[in-house]
Parts: sequence; structure tokens; C-alpha cells
Amino acid sequence: MKKQFSYAVIALIAAGTLFTACTKDDPSPSQDSETKYVLITLADRVSGNKAGFISAFDEMPTGTVSNASAGSLEGQGMGGWRTYGNHIYKMFRTSDYATGIEKINVTADGTVTAGQFISSKDQAAAAKYFGTGNFVIKDENTGYYWDAAEPTKIQKFNPASMTANLGSIDLTNAINERGADEDGIKFRSAGQKFLAIKGNKLYANLTYAKQDASQIGFFDDFFPDVYIAVIDLSSETYEKTISIKNTGSIAYINENHMYDFDDNDDLYIVCQGRTAIGGQSKIARIKANETDIDATWELDFADDFTTDYNGKFVGVFAKGGKLILTVNTEPLTGGPTGNINSADIWKFYSVDIATKDFTEITGVPVGTNPGAAMAVVEVDGKTLLRGSTVSGDNGYYEYNPANHAATLLFNVNVGGAVSGFHKITVQ
Amino acid sequence: MRRHVSGLVLFEKVLFATLAIVLLIGVANGQTGRLSGTVLSEQGQAIIGASVGIGETAPSQITDQAGKFSFSGLRLGQYTLSVTHVGYATYHETVRLGQQPTDVVIRLVPQSTLLADVTVTGKTETQQVREQAIRAVVVDTRAVAEQPATLAELMNRSPGIRMRQSGGLGNMVDVSINGFQGNSVQYFRDGIPLEYLGGGYGINNVPINLLERVEVYKGVVPVTLGGDALGGAVNLVTQQHHGTMLDVSYEVASFNTHIANVSTYHSNETDRWFVGMDGFYNYSDNDYKADVEVVNENSNLVPVTVPLFHNGYKHYFIEAYGGIRNRVWVDELRFSIARYAIDRQSQHPALMTNPYGALTVHNQGWVPSMRYRKAVGKIALDQFVSYSAINRSRVDTVRGTYDWYGAFTPRTGIGESPRPSLSNIDFDNIISRTNLVYKINESNKLDANVVFNYNSRVGADPYGLRFAGTDTDILSKTAIYAKTIAGVSWESKWLNERLVNQLTAKFFHFKTRGIDGFLANGTDVDDYTTSTHSNWGVGNALKYALSDRHLLRASFELTNRLPRENELFGDNDTRAPNFALEPERSLNVNVGYRYQSPAWSAEIGGFYRKTKGMILLVPIQPPFAQYQNLDSVQGYGLDIDLHYRFGQFFQLTANATWQDNRMVDIGDGLHQWIEGTRLRNTPYFFANAGILGDFENILSSKDRFKPYVHWNFIREFYLNHIPRDAEPDGFLGLFGKAKVPVTNVVPNQHLLSAGFTYFLAGQQVSIGAEVKNIADSKLYDYYKIQRPGRSFHVKINYHLTKKR
Repeated sequence: MKKQFSYAVIALIAAGTLFTACTKDDPSPSQDSETKYVLITLADRVSGNKAGFISAFDEMPTGTVSNASAGSLEGQGMGGWRTYGNHIYKMFRTSDYATGIEKINVTADGTVTAGQFISSKDQAAAAKYFGTGNFVIKDENTGYYWDAAEPTKIQKFNPASMTANLGSIDLTNAINERGADEDGIKFRSAGQKFLAIKGNKLYANLTYAKQDASQIGFFDDFFPDVYIAVIDLSSETYEKTISIKNTGSIAYINENHMYDFDDNDDLYIVCQGRTAIGGQSKIARIKANETDIDATWELDFADDFTTDYNGKFVGVFAKGGKLILTVNTEPLTGGPTGNINSADIWKFYSVDIATKDFTEITGVPVGTNPGAAMAVVEVDGKTLLRGSTVSGDNGYYEYNPANHAATLLFNVNVGGAVSGFHKITVQ
Repeated sequence: MRRHVSGLVLFEKVLFATLAIVLLIGVANGQTGRLSGTVLSEQGQAIIGASVGIGETAPSQITDQAGKFSFSGLRLGQYTLSVTHVGYATYHETVRLGQQPTDVVIRLVPQSTLLADVTVTGKTETQQVREQAIRAVVVDTRAVAEQPATLAELMNRSPGIRMRQSGGLGNMVDVSINGFQGNSVQYFRDGIPLEYLGGGYGINNVPINLLERVEVYKGVVPVTLGGDALGGAVNLVTQQHHGTMLDVSYEVASFNTHIANVSTYHSNETDRWFVGMDGFYNYSDNDYKADVEVVNENSNLVPVTVPLFHNGYKHYFIEAYGGIRNRVWVDELRFSIARYAIDRQSQHPALMTNPYGALTVHNQGWVPSMRYRKAVGKIALDQFVSYSAINRSRVDTVRGTYDWYGAFTPRTGIGESPRPSLSNIDFDNIISRTNLVYKINESNKLDANVVFNYNSRVGADPYGLRFAGTDTDILSKTAIYAKTIAGVSWESKWLNERLVNQLTAKFFHFKTRGIDGFLANGTDVDDYTTSTHSNWGVGNALKYALSDRHLLRASFELTNRLPRENELFGDNDTRAPNFALEPERSLNVNVGYRYQSPAWSAEIGGFYRKTKGMILLVPIQPPFAQYQNLDSVQGYGLDIDLHYRFGQFFQLTANATWQDNRMVDIGDGLHQWIEGTRLRNTPYFFANAGILGDFENILSSKDRFKPYVHWNFIREFYLNHIPRDAEPDGFLGLFGKAKVPVTNVVPNQHLLSAGFTYFLAGQQVSIGAEVKNIADSKLYDYYKIQRPGRSFHVKINYHLTKKR
């Protein structure tokens, strides 16, 4: 018995040691292909760090697919992404949810990995003031982003080499054109929530925040109007400040940049309103050849959609003189029983820009708040709508603008809520 | 059985003059003499509380902390010495007392002649706990008190238990038992819920010298522990003293760590009154090196290894007590007052993504308490009551930020975290625990237990949240939380006590009153919300001794875990209140088999659990998160614990735990794929092995040398859910990697530590030394927080006893 026991103990120790020594190669990847359809899903329900998956498919998915496979990337910050041509970026690092700019790499064999990451120059400041990594790309080698380390400046970076510290645009004076002596303004910044390039101009929101703790700069506007600085990119100099009247909370700090260009280059900008559950939410426009807010047009939630209940716009897709929006179908509520993020209340509408008529889009389910997700994407010339519900609908639906109807293109059963879909050619 | 008569004077050293403890030597006068001695186990451990008698000449005595006893003023002649202690065969010896004092050493033999482990022989109280119907894993702290080990380390070496400690000394510790963790596990000191000590005394900071043992209940919790633990309980059992004693220890270790402990006790000759004091002081810079990332010239992150610079911890705890014993109206009445203060630097937020350089948290309190015990006939009453006045604060007011090198950058905003604070929060806590035992007959016993706990919170924070639209500080409105947990158990013994059954029923009730400070209630600051909830629980535990060597156990419990105050009220910041929370409910089933022989022992335990409505922090409206009844978990697991004595001097210990806790009842819908996936962020396999030696007469007569080596392994686990079919292959999932490349993984971890304890001749002074994490391995907390690398520890202990 003694002997047997000794053997058992030795075996136990040996087995424990072997656990680290034993590795097994991943299964063989799928066949190589230069064209990839890349899908991101958000699986997280509890951590708040947006755990999820990204996978690359050789062909446009159909039927039901899993988004967690041998070549997938598992990690955090999977609420959505921002794309530029064949490049995919996230504002949250896969390994630890740090804010910045992370490039997602996809290889010909379909393996997805997290690439280089541009960080705040001050990691503690980035954790305190949300928004580091809010970026816009001008061309293959030039981009601009906001860094909490220098909140009144716009930083430059190279999206190809993923390096930064290439200079900055100082907007301190522009910010101080108003409210310089106001004690009620606790925090000021430029480009924290909204950065867009139209023509050769960079548009950057100016933040005047009332809060000095928790989500500083969000739903806490000091002024009733939203201010946007206009910068000439040839000289990278400040030109002027324009404003969107009587609203609040322009855009947000996530992958859903909350603005879009129509085919004619008119720029449509979402303002969520006074509070997280709405109030004075509107969409404003800067026309293609203009640098001012179009005073003749705005889409106001209350005036143009409904006065029956409060609500807000949370994203915009512009194409062919139409906007595609998701709008809440019942009053927004927060708290334990709040519906804002957890209930199937967000419905797709097509809005005629000229008449401001709202037309329901059928065939795609009324779903959860798209939040940071890409609610509408264009792939292979198709307009795809994100349909994700608590009850389990979860995929992209192909939209037919002729009859305002959508049909299911593919459904995702493993990996969480669909958050983005993009086609790239592997470089 | 051996006997030594030395003829030497027993107490001849006087030390620690600063504490004014003087040893007295019995004086022989005329025709009288003195008989003294030490009662030890076969392994040389002092046996405390043994009854020593010499017939009717003198009252019986109880051995003290060092196992010593002394009769003085005895007439010269022949005496029959008898020693009894539960779990040991009664010892009889005829002693001839001459004019020279007589000193004897007595080694008791276990009643069952079974060997439990290296440190405990026979059915000591510790052993009895191990063998009760409800299984407890016992960490025998007294057996290793001289080692420079923390309680968390000792518990980590036990089967089925994982300690989760975020960083170095003093940092928060969470216990995972069968996959239960957080508030599902509750802590007690001598059966009293530990909340009353406000964090000043807990598993993360109490020196092991102060403890007799630690009992860890996995699954089913005895009714005498009046808590609403869902899946496990940890009971810190303090040392019981007799006579006069002084125990002092001091440990110095890497990272400028200092741990000092003083414990002293005195009772009069007839043991009718007693006084004592326990105190400890912990200090550490915790400036161990950690792998972090810093920004380079391209704003990319590059890895560096830097010493932590704002991770210090300072803590003292002192408890003075006194009381009376052995009166007509009271068996024991004890009054005590405890005072503690903790100052902690906070180096980083929940994850090590960025550093803090000035943020501190503070906790201090006064805790008077009273305990009354009296047995009359078949009834025994044990009443405890305490009031705690606790103050907590969090200070984050610096205007700037720090980098990982400690360099400061001034900024205009207040605070370096997203949550500036200068809080000053008072907690008043009243706890009453009543335990009543009625012994129906030799085979049947009823045990009733009621715990009432009242807690109120009020405070201020100039930088804290206000009710929306007002300047009213949310903390300024008193929040009240009260809970009552009552239970009754019936223990019955059958088949000549080979079969023991314990049937229990419990009642849970809580009530809260406060203001819902989350957004919608912003304008009505007088709109108090109340919430109450009641539940029942039931359980049964069965033990059957097949023979002296074989023991079978089975138990089940349907129990509740009440929502905590912070879960209901939020934290006046980003954790929103939820007054609709309901208790978590769990069905726990445990089975076990234990085998013992003189050379080795083995225990196999299995569990099944089904837990519904687990209270988890769920993100709601950014940036808010809220506790909600969300998930259900079903699991089972197995652990095996082995002890083997080989040769004359060595003992080998090993244990391994595998558990398979999985998400269930997800339901149809978006997250249906999570059904059947592993419980996230929870290890599912871990193992320990250790070798211990015990040598005597090394450098001098009666000295003792006890070397040891411990190895600990944790299998990699995942911070997030991964599809079940993508889990690692192999037996029990123990081999290979997940089929999905997982970024958020805590890798396999190995911890190897070794040390020794050397007892000087006479064994009053001992020195312990240990090297922890010899291989300087990368070790992580559950959320991948790095733990210290290799460290060196030296501890000196002094134990002094004065006989009556």
C-alpha cells in the first residue's frame, strides 16, 4: 500500500508539471484567400469590458455561423470598430480594454490578431477622461486623434505604421473663446467626442463639461449649444468655431462615430441630447461645399419624429438622400428596469432628408440599442442592417431601399451580439 | 509511551521585561514539593486544555498554551497522576514527589491510534472538526504558527479552496470554495460573523499566531455559523488560553515588510477571572517588481518591469479583554474592546492598466463586545453582542497623474482616478448572536442559533455624487440594512455513535431603508425606499463510520445568500442601487470518504451545486453598473487530499481539486451559446504537494528542526466565456490549449516555496525562515493582477508561560 501511494503522489506531481509543458497546436486554418469578410461580436454581459470575438470568413457568410473558431480573436473591447479601406481599428485594446487605437490584423489564412496599439501619453489621464483614441483618418498615412493627456490638442498619427507623436494642433485658444472664466466648467477639450474630415477641413467638437467625475464631458454640457472647431488641414491651423443650436452631447466616444456622409458629401451629425435618455436630440448637417452648420435643416427627435415620448438618435447612415436611423419605439428609461440598453425597442427607419418623413423598415427585428455597434454597413454594394434582439435574432439583414424591406443575410449563433461587419483585401 | 523526569526547575528564564511578565518558580518549603510537567502529543506538539489530576489532594488543572501544568505546595509522597484529553487515551502514572521539584513530560497516545496528518494526532478538537458530519477542511494554523506564512498561503494549500489576493500583504482576499466566491462565502471568528470587526481582523491580515485553526466549510454550513453563506464559510478559531502566557513574534521580509504580533493572557489560580490582550501590526511597502507597459516615443506601449511605488499598507489591531469564569451564574462572561486602523495606498485600479501615485484608503474602528456563556443541566447558552463604530474614507484629491516610474504631471482636474473623493463615512454596526444548545440525551442534541445584524451608513464626500438637480450629497442620507438569520439543528447519534445525523432548518430575513440615488429619484431626497425579503433553507448531514479507519459523509443544503448593503444601495458612484434584488439560492450536495491508517490518510470529496439568481454586477446605462440577479450555475467537482508519513522524520502531503461549474438556464436568445460554458474567471483545476521534515536534537539537546517545501499549481483559466466545444482537450480538460486563441487567459501558474522552523532547546524561542516563489514565477490574481515574485522571510517567535 505504501508503495502504491508513493507512486500515486509522484504521478500527481509529474502530472501537474506536465500541464504547462504540454501544448497543442491550433487546428489547421482554412484555405488562404485574399478577400476576407470580417465579423465582430460582443459577448459580454457582466464585465463591462466588452468581451467578444472577431473572425474572418473567406466568403460572405450565409445561413447560421459561429464567430468563435480556430482563427478568431478573443478579447475585450469588441463593441464595434472603425474601418478605413482595408484597415480595421478599435478604440479599446483587446488585451485589457485600455483606450487608444488598436489595429486589427487579418492574414490570408484567416487568422485575426490584435496589432499595434497607440496609447495615451498618460495612461492615468486616459483612464480618468474617457475618449482617448477617438480618431479620424485623412489618408493611408495621416490621422488625427484625441488624447486625454493633452485634452485641448488634436494629435496626429500614422495609421499605416501605427505610430504617433507626429505633432499636434493646439485648440486651447479656440476653446477659450467662450467660458474661459466660468467656474462651472470643470473640463475643456477639443475632439474628445467628434472628429470628422470633410473636404480639407477637420471638424472637432469643443467640450465644456460641468462634471469633474465619472464620464466627464458626457451628458454634462455647460452651454446649451454644441460647438465645433473647424481646422484647415493644409496648414493645420484653426479657422473658426461653428455651433449646433439648442442640443447637447454630440456623438460619443465609441466605435460608432455617429456621423456619416451622404453620396453628395453632405455631412450628418448626431447629437444625443441633454441626458442619456434623451431631450433635444437632433441630427445636424454641414452641406458638401459648406463649413457651417446648415441653418435651414435639422432633424429634431421631438419635432420630426414624435412628441409622445422622450428619446434620441444613436447613429446615422446616409445614402442617396436618405438617412437610416434606429429610433426608440417607447419612452427611454434607465435604472434597474431601464429599457435603454437591454430591451428590444430600437427600430430601423428610413428618413427622407428632403421631407423628413420617417418610413419603417420591415423585415429586420426591433432590437437592442446598437450602441457602439455598426448598425448599418455597406458590403459588396449591399446595405446591411444589424438585427440583434434579446430573444435571439442576431445577424445582418440586406436592405432593399425600393420597398423599405430587409431580409436575413446571415445569423450568428456563437460569440454574442453582432457589432460590425466589413470586407477587406488582405494586404 | 515514554516518561522523562528532569529534576530541573521548570521556569528559569525571565525575558521581555518591557512587557513586565515575570516567571515565578514554585517555592518548596518545609515538607512540601512541586510537581510540574508538560503534556505533548506523540509528535511533540503541546496539548492545550488537557485535564491533569493528582487525586483529591489538589484540584485538577488544565494545561496551558505550552501544554504545561504545575502543582505546588504538595506534601511529599506518592501521587497518581492522571491526564485526560478528548481524543486521547487516558494517561496514568505513579509519581514519587521528593523535596526536589519534579518535572515530567507526558506524551499522550491517540485514542483511535489513527494518524490524521503531520501536525495533529488523535482526535483533538481540530481532528473532531475534520470528522464531523458536515465536512470541514481544517487549516491547522497552530501547527505552523512559527512559520513566516500568511493565512492565505496556508489556505491555498488546502483542497478545494483557492485564495484570490490582489497584490501583496494586506490587499483584499477573496476565497473561492467549490467555485463560490465573493459574498457567497462568509467569514466568522469563533462562530461570530466577522463583519463586526470592520475589516480590521480578517483572513487578509490576521497573523496565524493568533489562531488555533481555520475551518473551511464547503457547501453545507453548520447552523452554529449564523450566516447566509451560499456555498461556503470560513471560521477563524482563536486560541484558548489557560494560566499565564505571553506570545510574541516578529517577521521581517522582502519589500520592507514587518509583521509583529503580541498575545498575552493571565487568569488567576482558580481560573475565576482572566485578562488578556491580542495585538498585531502589519507594514509593507509592497514594492515588488511588476511587469507593466509604458508609453514610448511613438505613443506605443512597451513592456517594462518596475517596482511598485504606491502600494504600501499599514495596519494595527489591538484587542483587550477580561472577564470572569466558573461562577454560579456564569461559566464565562467576557468583555472586550478592539481598536484598529488601516491605511492603504492604492497603486492601480481594478486592473493594472495605469498607476495611481497618491490615492489612499483608510479604515478605522472601535469595537466593544460582550460574550456570556452558561450551561445549566442540559441547556447551554452562548450570547454574543457587539457594537462597531467604523469610519472609512477614500482620498483622491491630487490634481495630476503619475506614470509607472512615479513621475508626476500636474493637471487641473481633481483626483487621479475617474472618481475624485474625500469621503468620510461612518458605519454603525450592531450584531447579536444567540446560540442555545439543548442536550436531550446522550444521543440527541438540539442547537438553535439566531444572528441579528443592524448596519447604518451616513457620511459625506465633497466630491461625491449628488442627487440629480440638487446639491444634496447622496451619502448624507442614512442607509439602513438589517438582517436576521435563524437556524435550528437536531443532531442524533445512532449505532453506537457510528452514525451521526444533523438535520437543519434556517430562516433568512433582511430589511433595508434608503434613498434610490440613481438618476430618476433625483428630485425627491426624502423619498425613502424600503425593501424586505424572507426565505427558508433546509439541510441534512450524515456521517457513518464504517470502522475506525473508514468514514463516509453525505450532506445537502438548500440555502440563501441575502443581498448585501452595497449591492442594494450602490456605492454613491457608478454602482447604481437596486432595491429589487432577491437572495441567491443554491442547492448544495456533498459526499465524502475518508480513510486513515497510522501511516497515511486519504480523503475524497465530491460536490454538486445548483445556484440560481447569482448577484452579479451588470453594466447598465454607461457609466453605471448595477447588481442584478442574473446567472445560474450548475456544477460538480472532486477533490482528493492525501497525507503520507514515511521514514521516521518525513511527511508528504498532496491534494488536487477539479471542478466543473457551468452556466445553465441561460434560456433561448442571444446568449444561449453561453449555456454550458465554464464559470468565467474561476480556476477549475489546482493541486498542491509538500514535504515536511521533523528532526530533534540537531544542534543541542531538545532543539528541533522542521524543514518544508511546498508546490502549488493552478491550471490556466479564462476571464471570459469561451464556447464549450472550444475548450482544451484531454482528460478533464487538463491538457492543451483552447481551440479559440484566447487573449484573456490566466496562464498555468507554479508556486514553489521552501523554508524551515528551528526551535531552540526548550522550544520557547523559534526561528522561521522561508523563501517564497523560489523560481520567481509570474503569479496572478484571478483578474490577472500580478503578485509578488521571489521574496525572503524571517520570523522569530517567543512563547513564555508562567505556571500558577
